[in-house]
Amino acid sequence: MCTRARGVILIGMRITHANRDNGGPAVQIAEHGAPAVQTVGLTKHFGHRAAVEDVSLTVPRGTAYGFLGHNGAGKTTLIRMLLGLTRASAGSATVLGLPVPAQRARALARVGAIVEEPSFYPHLTGRENLKVAAAVRGPGVRTRIDEVLHRVGLENRANDRVGTYSLGMRQRLGVARCLLSDPELLILDEPMNGLDPGGMLDMRRMIRTLVEEEGRTVFISSHLLDEVEKTCDVAAIIDGGRVIAQGPIDELVSGGGGELVVECDDAERAAGLLAGDTAVHELRIEHGGLRMRLLAPEQAGEINARLVSAGVVVSRLEPVRHSLEERFLEMTTRLEVAA
Amino acid sequence: MTTNLTVARQMVGADLLRLAKKRGFMALVLAVVMAPLVIWAGYQVIEHASNPAAYGPAGGIHHFVKMLDMLGIFMGPVAAVLIGAEAGAGDLGAGVFRDNVLTGRSRLALFLARIPAALAVTFTVIAIGFAFGLAVTFGFAGGLATPSISLILESAAWLALANGVVCVIAIGVASLTGSRPGTITALIGWELVLSPLLLQATTLGSARNGLLDGVLLFLKPGPASGAPAITMSVAVAIAVAALWVAVLPALGAWRTQTRDA
Repeated sequence: MCTRARGVILIGMRITHANRDNGGPAVQIAEHGAPAVQTVGLTKHFGHRAAVEDVSLTVPRGTAYGFLGHNGAGKTTLIRMLLGLTRASAGSATVLGLPVPAQRARALARVGAIVEEPSFYPHLTGRENLKVAAAVRGPGVRTRIDEVLHRVGLENRANDRVGTYSLGMRQRLGVARCLLSDPELLILDEPMNGLDPGGMLDMRRMIRTLVEEEGRTVFISSHLLDEVEKTCDVAAIIDGGRVIAQGPIDELVSGGGGELVVECDDAERAAGLLAGDTAVHELRIEHGGLRMRLLAPEQAGEINARLVSAGVVVSRLEPVRHSLEERFLEMTTRLEVAA
Repeated sequence: MTTNLTVARQMVGADLLRLAKKRGFMALVLAVVMAPLVIWAGYQVIEHASNPAAYGPAGGIHHFVKMLDMLGIFMGPVAAVLIGAEAGAGDLGAGVFRDNVLTGRSRLALFLARIPAALAVTFTVIAIGFAFGLAVTFGFAGGLATPSISLILESAAWLALANGVVCVIAIGVASLTGSRPGTITALIGWELVLSPLLLQATTLGSARNGLLDGVLLFLKPGPASGAPAITMSVAVAIAVAALWVAVLPALGAWRTQTRDA
């Protein structure tokens, strides 16, 4: 399901796809209750420059939500508005059903967030830094320190000064700090920044566990398209302060309809059969087979039936899977051309 | 209410932890307070030991009065400025202020938690210096007079007031500017250079009553302290001190609440 409004590609939010990282069980996204985050026409101007322009987002609960964009696209500004660190010039936002900034304190009590890179007192140990954070969070939070240190795999380095930590360890300690208050929503700004491949894999697994096993919502901003594709269920793409597409990753990369490759015994004849079909666009012969774009992925079966009933032997019929990176570049390039 | 008190106690404890565990900084603060006391006392002990006829004992009431000046007017306030600046801008410097704000905790509470923690560290450091000074005062008194218990208690209270006021002002200025080096430079410059000069400028007349140093010197206890540079009523002195303690921390609290995190 794909519609366009004001240059924004809106893709349906129904998600039943499997965890793409490890091929685990399908994630059924809970649709009850208010969305984890919802913005309507959110706008932020710095002088005459619009950092974020008319952004309307819906982040479903229980998902890993990727917020994609180039550096300077407006990702961090939007996060700062959601967390009440800066005021919006226009529009409204709710976090866990609570309006921000009006009920910011109540909302943030159920949110863990890292904005830009996580900061700590370098002269204190990891455990002491968490003690300081727990003290601000409230009574009883301190009892969770050991649990969250174990949760992020830092229990063996907990008594070392943070000044001796690698960036990856600081990122994990940042997530531990977020988890101290047992939040329903985590907002992580560029959590993969500066991590080596092993660190990225650890972070990805941790995020998937937070979503799949613990039922939390994780909102990740990133410019690393590949990582978002591997980690998230749903994504929005922001460019020049505007959201240009949002929806489940699978549908986002397929563009809502999808491309199809067909290999058969007679490509010329098959092309002739499908030439007048209104469901088929951009039909062409390629590498001895056919390549086409469909209005909806479900139409692949109909295409197969038509070819087979006409006596064409179909040996392969496969949807073309683009990477998110390809789709991202395609969308942003299209907007640049339109401009 | 109980929850709020628990959180406040935890936050003060957390601020105390981050100050006390900064070992290099704590060593510097202790050195600022102790080194002049130790060097000065050691010099006098050696002088007296080498020539008792020309140089009197190192201890006694004169040592006590000088020690009060060092702890209440010179090195004590320098230490209080260092501690206050660290308490006021340490979380900004480390980038942790934003993370604290993200907890949803009120920014005013974040600011207020800095004050008791910094005062606790300041009073501890000053108390160590005072204990050392008392030990020298009594231990090396020889036949000289020593301060009475009441003078000692009054002096301890005055030291707490003098250094506490400076520490709270430093927290306010550091929270206002967000800069530790800027706060330290400005306040130490004011405390050790500009304020003493203005205090001596008789042409300023009663305007000098507004100087914090003048107020603190006026309130300094004991007949052995000598005449203060300026005189005023106790009520005016307390009002001026209260104004200093109210205005700069209030500006710091305002900036903490409005600062872009």
